[in-house]
Amino acid sequence: MNVFSTQKIRRGKTLAALAFSVLVAAACATVPSSPQGAAEVRNKLTVLQNDPNLADRAKVEIRDAEAAVRLAEQPVSAAEAPLGAHRVYMADRQVEIARAKATTRYTEDQRARFAAERDAARLAARTREADAARYDADRAAADADRARADTARARADAERARADTVAANSAADAARRAEAESSADAARQAADLQRQIDELQAEVTDRGLVLTLGDVLFTTGSAELQGGASNRLNKLVTFLNEYPERRVLIEGHTDSMGTSEYNQGLSQRRSESVKHYLAQQGIATQRLSTSGMGEDQPVASNDSAAGRLQNRRVEIIIENPPLVIGASRP
Amino acid sequence: MFQSTRRSPGLRLRTAAGLAVAVVLLGACATTPPAPPTASLNAARQAITNAEQSDARQYASAELDEASQKLAMANRAVTTESMIEADRLAQESRVVAELASARTESAKAVAINEEMGRGADALNEELQRQGDQR
Repeated sequence: MNVFSTQKIRRGKTLAALAFSVLVAAACATVPSSPQGAAEVRNKLTVLQNDPNLADRAKVEIRDAEAAVRLAEQPVSAAEAPLGAHRVYMADRQVEIARAKATTRYTEDQRARFAAERDAARLAARTREADAARYDADRAAADADRARADTARARADAERARADTVAANSAADAARRAEAESSADAARQAADLQRQIDELQAEVTDRGLVLTLGDVLFTTGSAELQGGASNRLNKLVTFLNEYPERRVLIEGHTDSMGTSEYNQGLSQRRSESVKHYLAQQGIATQRLSTSGMGEDQPVASNDSAAGRLQNRRVEIIIENPPLVIGASRP
Repeated sequence: MFQSTRRSPGLRLRTAAGLAVAVVLLGACATTPPAPPTASLNAARQAITNAEQSDARQYASAELDEASQKLAMANRAVTTESMIEADRLAQESRVVAELASARTESAKAVAINEEMGRGADALNEELQRQGDQR
């Protein structure tokens, strides 16, 4: 029992020593803890690592900072406190460096975006300027058009005014000239008329111009025109076209040979034949009237062959123009 | 001790020898910490020079000052032969000088962006005004 108890006591001592040594060891283990400030640096680093704008922009620096922070977090004994402080200082500055570099890169990236935005703004501005310029140009063109139209209108007005003036002048002139020219014109017209009358071989009578187509134009007893008639008749057509206001009376005449009825019919047919020819040449039939005079108006004696030849004829009387020229005639 | 040295010349001699040995040993101990942390000091100096050249004086003067102070302290530590402390101070000087450079760069970049932003704002305002005039 004694031996046993002394053994027990020895064992208890050993246990106590062990417990003590464990306690001492534990005390030793808790003494070298993470240096002061390490936790704060870890927090800073975590914030940086969670910043979406910065975390990816300084990967190398953040990795270095991470290593420095981990080193700073290493427990140090109280005796090594300066080493711990040194590590915390280094880790802290490295986290700050990583943050600064990430900020620089973020800012540079922003700058690129700014530049792009500014380019876009410039482009928009240029587009707007171009639009404005086009708008101005359009407006200028419209102004120009309007101005041109105004000018044209002004010119037209001016011309109209000038025309009015000219018209007034010319009216006055015309009035003046009409008096002056009416005599000159009348003289000229009279001269023209006379020339044509001469060409027609017509004679001027009270009834008008009288053109006599001789017997040679017709075969005896026939109303058919012979070829030679066309020359003088064509001159007549020209004349009639030139004086469209003049009407024409076509009179047929015969000699006294044969019955008067026959001569009457023959003279009528001959005058109709001439009318027909003139109508064919384009003279309006309203202007043409015919009359068969028979043997009643001889121009020569029917006793001689020469006289009878003269009596067989068609007289074309071109009536004097109605009113105006007739009135101006002396 | 003074009494003992005066006690006998033989003993005094022995004591002197022992002291000499101790001094030698101590001296050996003093020179055992390595030579001044030249690499760290040079690195710190270089980092400070770089920071100064990048206009850190203007943009990160606090960090630059701190770097210079740390370097001065490191040099002082070298003179007192506290080489470990000198090395740590030199490293701290270097890292804070590098921080000065980094903050200078970011401050410059931010300033440029602000300038550009002002320019862009001015441009936008100008364009807006032009737009309003239409």
